[in-house]
Amino acid sequence: MAKSNISLKNRDILDLDTLSTEEINLILKTAGEMKNIMNRDIKKVPTLRGKSIINLFFEPSTRTRTSFELAGKYLGADVVNITTSGSSVVKGESLRDTLLTVESMRVDAIVMRHEASGAAEFAAKVVKPVIINAGDGAHAHPTQGLLDMFTIQERKGRLTGLKVAIIGDILYSRVARTNICGLTKMGAEVHVAGPAPLIPRELAAMGVTVHQRVEDALEGADVVDVLRIQLERQKKGLFPSAREYARIFGINKARLALAKPDALLMHPGPMNRGLEISPEVAYGDQSVICDEVQNGVAVRMALLFLVLMGGKNIEVIA
Amino acid sequence: MKLLLKGGRVINPATAYDEIADVLIEDGIIKEIGSHIAVDNAEIYEAEGLIVTPGLVDIHVHLREPGLEAKEDIVSGTQAAAAGGFTTVACMPNTRPIIDNSILVAGLKHRAQTEGIVNVEIIGAMSKSQEGKELAEIGDMLLNGAVAISDDGHFVNNARLFRAGLEYANIFGKRIISHAEDENLSSEGVMHEGAVSTRLGLVGNPSVSEDIAVSRDVMLAEYTNSLLHVAHVSSKNAVDIIRQAKKRGVNVTTEATVHHLTLTDDAVIGYNTATKVNPPLRSQDHVDALLAGLLDGTIDAIVTDHAPHAYEEKDVEYRYAPSGFTGLETALGVILTELVHTGKIGLMQVIEKMTYGPAKVLGLNAGCLKVGGKADITIVNPGQEWTVDSRTFYTRGKHTPYEGKKLKGRAVATIVGGKFVMKNGEVFA
Ligand SMILES: [Zn+2]
Repeated sequence: MAKSNISLKNRDILDLDTLSTEEINLILKTAGEMKNIMNRDIKKVPTLRGKSIINLFFEPSTRTRTSFELAGKYLGADVVNITTSGSSVVKGESLRDTLLTVESMRVDAIVMRHEASGAAEFAAKVVKPVIINAGDGAHAHPTQGLLDMFTIQERKGRLTGLKVAIIGDILYSRVARTNICGLTKMGAEVHVAGPAPLIPRELAAMGVTVHQRVEDALEGADVVDVLRIQLERQKKGLFPSAREYARIFGINKARLALAKPDALLMHPGPMNRGLEISPEVAYGDQSVICDEVQNGVAVRMALLFLVLMGGKNIEVIA
Repeated sequence: MKLLLKGGRVINPATAYDEIADVLIEDGIIKEIGSHIAVDNAEIYEAEGLIVTPGLVDIHVHLREPGLEAKEDIVSGTQAAAAGGFTTVACMPNTRPIIDNSILVAGLKHRAQTEGIVNVEIIGAMSKSQEGKELAEIGDMLLNGAVAISDDGHFVNNARLFRAGLEYANIFGKRIISHAEDENLSSEGVMHEGAVSTRLGLVGNPSVSEDIAVSRDVMLAEYTNSLLHVAHVSSKNAVDIIRQAKKRGVNVTTEATVHHLTLTDDAVIGYNTATKVNPPLRSQDHVDALLAGLLDGTIDAIVTDHAPHAYEEKDVEYRYAPSGFTGLETALGVILTELVHTGKIGLMQVIEKMTYGPAKVLGLNAGCLKVGGKADITIVNPGQEWTVDSRTFYTRGKHTPYEGKKLKGRAVATIVGGKFVMKNGEVFA
């Protein structure tokens, strides 16, 4: 890899808003090299030997936590998981105190998932170890955004000029916010659609085109990103029923046909098959959902490497 | 005991008086206002270059006593008031217990008189325990010293009960103060709903929640021909609803807080819980509308909604933090810096909104300088530069959205009943 004068060493990765296009490109490029390592017979390299990473998850998540855990282990770091369900308020210990406890254990990086928007930024202000946001409330999930960009770029060769349709519950989705921010920054054209009560106010200010009807957003899209719908939104009166959601907003074969014939179908998982996405398209030719999972590990390896080593010693592993 | 305030610029909005003059105080009473007053054996306070105004009046504070003393109590709260130049504050009843009967009103009033260092007026609850179900003994509280009635902190959802409260308080010529928000619309909101909440992924509290509630309350006040005061107006449409109602002759008054007049929802970026407040900090169009409402007289008073919390309560994730922050010690400096020195509003008008205006809303005998009247006076240095540092606050609430801000102008002396309770930032307990 060419020497670059940008460094992400010791940078907290809280969202994509605070990463420049150059920094995002560096991460995506490094992820490509990491993917090569992943595809070796012996995946483990000693690059992060002696570094310790804590996965501090205040919300259950098998997928993201496992992905980070493997990413750290493939690079030789020690990885420990702390999963605590329920908010720290319920638990009785404040977030600050939990973080200070973890910091006292001399960890180098904290990968944090929390149900409150802004929790990762709070953590970054409280403790010294690098904070990698693995999802904070409805705010951001930067590694998901990066792995989606990596997946699109891998298949399409570019991000600039692509039309990406994001479909579903934007209001409560950190994935949607992160992808809108990252993709528009990288020059893609983002269109969104979903039930109007789940489209946040003044969303267009984030540089996207908002559609009332799913069909209009899908028209000619290069990428269709389907979001998970939480059934508890229905109980809050934000949409009428699962049945109606599937009928009006669900992505099925007929709707996907409105996008370009070679459009990619994405979903951050876990899927509600038959609700926001039909099985025929989820497992169809256009689906890159499994690629997203694999690329997630590569992107997280890249990120851990860049924030902990600053891009040094890449020659050793490349 | 004589005190002569010498050579200051005396501004008294009640009489539109703005002259360089001396003020002579004797035994706690203003004896004379005029140029070059000659007097023997008086303590002299050189006020040259300073502004002498009626003591500032804040009709919306939370002193937290009884029950919530970890946040504030009468001693710390009135010290903060004195430090900020306020000589009279009216405190909201959402304490533990709720101030919802005359014994509590009288007891709190008594404690404030013995422990407080500024004048404290008591606002009683409208419903028992502020539950919005049954009327509290409004008449008994008003006859025992309460100056207004409010379920502040909560909107009274039940329109029939709110109507009854308005009608009942009206018998005694007092106002119901409404905390206007449709709680179904705003229920989970932690900040203003708009472009910033969308970006930050925080649940928005829409301005229309306030508009709907203000509309209902104004309509009920009009229908029952009673006296309404809308607390902390923050939405542009709500300002306009009140403006139109006043034009129709509805007896409605309103107030805007210092923070809603000077901050936007951009302050929330970074998730600093010191910016969390209800109603929330709104976008620039709303801030502009509040200033217009202040200038055209729609808004009668500037208040702080001083709402201190214990440090650890605010030191949490944004969504879990309680709403409200401290305001008494920054209010005047912020208003002078942001509104007066920028030329947005004149000194006379601003002082009116912080003295005579709020006093008139609640019918208080305060907020003006008059010979024979009680000597509650604030002396202001409009040019003094200082930096907000919550570690120096008298209030227990150390969270403020103005932390670290450089301000120009502050109260340099506060006089209550002819006695200095603050001089150069130092409060005398
Ligand atoms: Zn209120």
